[in-house]
Amino acid sequence: MDLLRHARFFVAVAEHLHFGHAADELGMAQPPLSQGIQRLERNLGVRLFDRDARRVQLTPAGADLLPAARDLLGDADRWVSQARAWTPRATLRFGIADDLLGRWGGLLRALAADGWNPLPIVRPSSTLVQATRDGEVDVALIRHPCIVDGLLTGAVFSAPARLVAQGPEGGAIALPVAVPPRSHHPAAHDQLVDALARLGHSGAVVELGTASERDAWVAAGRAAALVVGEGHEVDAAPVAALEIRVRVVMGPLRVRRSGVDAPALLTRVEELLR
Amino acid sequence: MTRWHDAAETIRALAADAGVHARVHARAVETTTREAEAPGASTPVAGRRDVEALEPEVAVEADTPTAIASLYKPALAGAWADLVAAGEFDPVSRLRLPSRGRAPGETGVAALADDVEVSQRDAVRLMLAVSDNACAEALLDLVGLTRVAAWLAGHGLSATAVRRGSAQSLRRIIEETGGRSLSEAMSRLADPRHDRGTSEYDSAMTSSGTARELTAILRILWLGEQYDWVRESMRRQAWRHRIGSGFPHDDVGVAGKTGTLGRLRHEAAVVHFPHELPVAVAVMTVSVRPEMHQPRVDAAIGAIARSAVNALRTPAALAMWPPPHEPGSPREPPC
Repeated sequence: MDLLRHARFFVAVAEHLHFGHAADELGMAQPPLSQGIQRLERNLGVRLFDRDARRVQLTPAGADLLPAARDLLGDADRWVSQARAWTPRATLRFGIADDLLGRWGGLLRALAADGWNPLPIVRPSSTLVQATRDGEVDVALIRHPCIVDGLLTGAVFSAPARLVAQGPEGGAIALPVAVPPRSHHPAAHDQLVDALARLGHSGAVVELGTASERDAWVAAGRAAALVVGEGHEVDAAPVAALEIRVRVVMGPLRVRRSGVDAPALLTRVEELLR
Repeated sequence: MTRWHDAAETIRALAADAGVHARVHARAVETTTREAEAPGASTPVAGRRDVEALEPEVAVEADTPTAIASLYKPALAGAWADLVAAGEFDPVSRLRLPSRGRAPGETGVAALADDVEVSQRDAVRLMLAVSDNACAEALLDLVGLTRVAAWLAGHGLSATAVRRGSAQSLRRIIEETGGRSLSEAMSRLADPRHDRGTSEYDSAMTSSGTARELTAILRILWLGEQYDWVRESMRRQAWRHRIGSGFPHDDVGVAGKTGTLGRLRHEAAVVHFPHELPVAVAVMTVSVRPEMHQPRVDAAIGAIARSAVNALRTPAALAMWPPPHEPGSPREPPC
């Protein structure tokens, strides 16, 4: 027995309390409708209607079971229209360097909440530039400055950073700083080393491939961590202060996918950065 | 062939490592007997070779139009020298450089406080040896953009355009950045927290050229007798932090001219190893970092020039192949 079909018979007869009218509504003849109701009652083992020559009435069981039958049909209709309206949602391939996840990883959460369906692609900035140019990444947040020719670039955002280390206050200045390998973003690396030297740090760094490795060295007291803080009031702090700078990049038109609204996305990411 | 190709690969890697876009060209300079005498050279080279026929070169983005900054000055000097040779200018006649209205700059007469008077040829020397903007401006007024353009066109250099001198370029930067002074304008361009630009970085808007044509200009200047003074002035260039840093050898001559403006760091030079053909090399870089002082990029320019020149080094005797062999007069083996 097709349960949904028979539930529809039940609800129609219950609403009209008249087999002829219910059959009209359902677009069928009266005899098969009557047979259908009998089949349903047999199947459920409950009488749903009292009927005599003059009229049709819901039994107490029929009245009790009617709301659930309506819900069942409503859910079925919703499910069907949901299925019909379903369209593939493009996955947003969002590139981000692992040294930026600590401060800007929240971008992924915000984009997911917006319904952008982000797929994180965690790679070094220079790799992301190439991947974006080749259309393997839709949008990427990378360290600035990097060589970015051929890409659409957003504004530069700066966040203040400070050195933190295990042990006594001020010990960080004497330790090498745990950073990603220079090859991940040579110009940004050199700029950071220059800024460290400007502050009175020796400029010594330990180049470690992953964020967890860097955390481990900091935990062991062998390196200072560069902690990127809140705030982006770029003109408030003196230039000599430690800053980590980032920008959003997108591929050229020829590699953009139609499922990703690139300009809207760039605007949204910049809003989130702000 | 692979040697030049390998050099180009090395150069691309050096540029990426330094965070710059690089436009590079290098070629040997055909030379006359007298010019082949490098500092310390004892064996004069006789004869010439047909360079055009199968010219080895190292080229990376060598035909990409690029803003040349002060690298318009060698062409200006060349045009001036031709006018001297034609009897139009007297090289020892005096140029007045009053302090008022003089072009701004960090070096030479441009850095002085009071009125100055120099001969034309000394102005050329200061313009090339220390990139003096005041002397360059006076010489550009004297020669004129039209005659510089004619000099370039006469040598078939169609990718080089001298649109204005340094003084005007600097004034435009002040206007575009909204700075009140040159130093404020340059600080704004150099602020690492922004990605600021200026039309003076744009090859379509300002004086521009290509690495290939820069080495062509050097070759022209190195071959003509009328350019003796120009060459000698370039040998006296005060800086050795760029191309010169790639050749830390006292017996190797580096005669060059730098060009510097914001993100642009260039040099075109003739590198001369004793007993070898001089090699002209042009390295133009556009840095992704905006800061004014970038010793790593200067050093990378030296390393790039070294890669390019090494791939082209040829003992002068070999360069005359086939040797002008005369029966009965055995030649010494090339050293």
